[in-house]
Amino acid sequence: MAEKPDFPGLDFGDRFRFWPKHNEKIYERLESKHAWLEEKQAAQGDGDLPVTEKAEMDPLENEMILNIGPQHPATHGVLRCVVKLDGETVEKSVLDIGYLHRGIEKLAEHKTYQEFMPYTDRMDYLAPYSNNVAWCLAVEKLAGIEVPERAQWIRMIMSELARISSHCLWLGVGMMDAGAVSGFLWTFQQREEIYAIMDEVAGARFTVSHSRIGGVANDLSARAIEMIEDFMDSFLDEVDGWETLLNRNRIWVERNKDVGRITKEEALELGVTGPNLRGSGVPYDVRRFEPYLKYDEVDFTIPVREEGDCLARYFLRLDEMKQSVRIINQCLDRMTEGPIRSDDAKEAYPSKEEVYYSMEGMIHDFMYTDVGTVPPKGAHSYHAIEGPKGELGFYLTSDGTGRPWRVRINSPSFTNLQAMEYIMEGSLVADTVIIIGSLDPVMGEADK
Amino acid sequence: MSNPDDPRASEPNDPEELRFEYTPSDEPRPEQETENPHAKDTTRVPEVIDALRTEFGEAVLNVERYANEDTVYVEKQRIQEICRFLKEEQDFTYFVDLGGIDRFTDEDRFEVFYNIVSVERQKRIRLKVRVDEDDMRVPSVTDIYRAANWNEREAYDMFGFEFVDHPDPRRMYMPEDFEYHPLRKEFPQLGVPGSLPLPPQTPDGELTMDPFAAAHGSQPVKSYDEPAVDQDSDSE
Repeated sequence: MAEKPDFPGLDFGDRFRFWPKHNEKIYERLESKHAWLEEKQAAQGDGDLPVTEKAEMDPLENEMILNIGPQHPATHGVLRCVVKLDGETVEKSVLDIGYLHRGIEKLAEHKTYQEFMPYTDRMDYLAPYSNNVAWCLAVEKLAGIEVPERAQWIRMIMSELARISSHCLWLGVGMMDAGAVSGFLWTFQQREEIYAIMDEVAGARFTVSHSRIGGVANDLSARAIEMIEDFMDSFLDEVDGWETLLNRNRIWVERNKDVGRITKEEALELGVTGPNLRGSGVPYDVRRFEPYLKYDEVDFTIPVREEGDCLARYFLRLDEMKQSVRIINQCLDRMTEGPIRSDDAKEAYPSKEEVYYSMEGMIHDFMYTDVGTVPPKGAHSYHAIEGPKGELGFYLTSDGTGRPWRVRINSPSFTNLQAMEYIMEGSLVADTVIIIGSLDPVMGEADK
Repeated sequence: MSNPDDPRASEPNDPEELRFEYTPSDEPRPEQETENPHAKDTTRVPEVIDALRTEFGEAVLNVERYANEDTVYVEKQRIQEICRFLKEEQDFTYFVDLGGIDRFTDEDRFEVFYNIVSVERQKRIRLKVRVDEDDMRVPSVTDIYRAANWNEREAYDMFGFEFVDHPDPRRMYMPEDFEYHPLRKEFPQLGVPGSLPLPPQTPDGELTMDPFAAAHGSQPVKSYDEPAVDQDSDSE
């Protein structure tokens, strides 16, 4: 029987003095847990789970406990997987998250609605613009703020760019997990172009914070629109190149096919979200389910695949990138001139011209920084968007002041990681890396 | 922000005298269904609420609506039956979210909300139960929705709910050695000094007991060793 690892040959001394109980509980859980396979068999049979006892025989010493992470590059952040191996098969797994926990739900309660927005950049740091939009829409729903049309088109363009950027990183890192390093550099060239667009639009490459409550910070410049159009023209060719490399690549297909498979029923039961759910045949996309911004006015399809394995999720995300290009092209065609922020001083910041050249503008700016948007007392509402990783929702409760009473963040990576604990069971230990890459969790978001 | 009538402002040095003044659901609110520009059709579920009322009668305590979203307050003890009914009879098979809210009131201080989606019917429902501070037990719905597992662990971690029959009652984010529930309103934003030992700042140093020492008025731990000062060479 596998024992707690005591780091043979390594004496860490008292360097692990902190959190003694934490590790103990994880290993206890690993010991007492029933593997998902056992649970499924019990549900089909007489409903009794096998008794787990410490006296199980392991004469060949096949079993061992392996800690993957939290400091392992293949875990895409600070995810820690404690797995019990039987030979090379993962028998059971327990995930431990929280190594990046910053308590932003608590921090939000001490900030005005606008002040909190930069924190959302740091949640899913691969697609910050989507988070900004999710937060702004949630606050706007809570306070009943209407957003000008042009701002909605700008938000749509930028959050689809963020989706492409996030999927590019997923593909590059996924290829690198499977052993192809050059692909990583190719997808990062495309991300670099998106960074340049973000830089032109928002003045920041990575943590953009460009969206504002009641609109966006500034309009797209002619140069920015030109850059986006150029990127749209060249990007599909790049995707074609990646498909030529991977679609019939024997190594890639064999590493991904039938790995990490979840059926439709299992996907719903485990509550996975985003591309992972659609990869298992459930057509749930918040852009269709409850359309926000202008998604009900543009023409696009929601890719759905039935297989539910890593290869299906790969094809699905590539299709999603192509659909994003389609959406952005329509947005660019249909975008009209107009204001980019609400003109009400209680709903949005005034423009800089007003602030610098009029007394009222300056007072409004001051008051908005100090008090900000004030939703009605007792109001509570949930607004979700389809982020690159899945359904990203904010459930806000207001107490009638300029600060939220409670912010609940429903983050897709958290939901997907919970399912991963089960999906990993029964796979080979080498495939765990592929599964982590394929489910695409971001720890900044999962750990909040 | 600084309201002169705010009772908290007048007695800053009396942490024992916590004032309870916020009761969200007792507040009469303007109906906003048609005005809210972000309102969705998916969150209006009158048929489901009727079905719940017929099936469970008194257990459905109250129905609230804001921004076209229906919130159904139900009895805590019957949440399992209600979830099972929603899943098996009403097609609400996809569990999206669960979390706690600290209302900071005298009675029924906490709330747990359940956000459940029916993909077939294109509907989203929110259930809420109220939990009193003296009895933090809530029946766990992990038997019905496996996806509630981590969310319940998180709610336990952050608020201290005790989910009865939960298969894995561990903390989610904080380490097991931590003794507090950080999203409760009385928990200070900068943390409780000494509650969460962090690794030493230098290789041979002591554990960092308070990462925000300066804010708490004590001496912060240095992250480097100061070079020894040669006293004699200071000729000026």
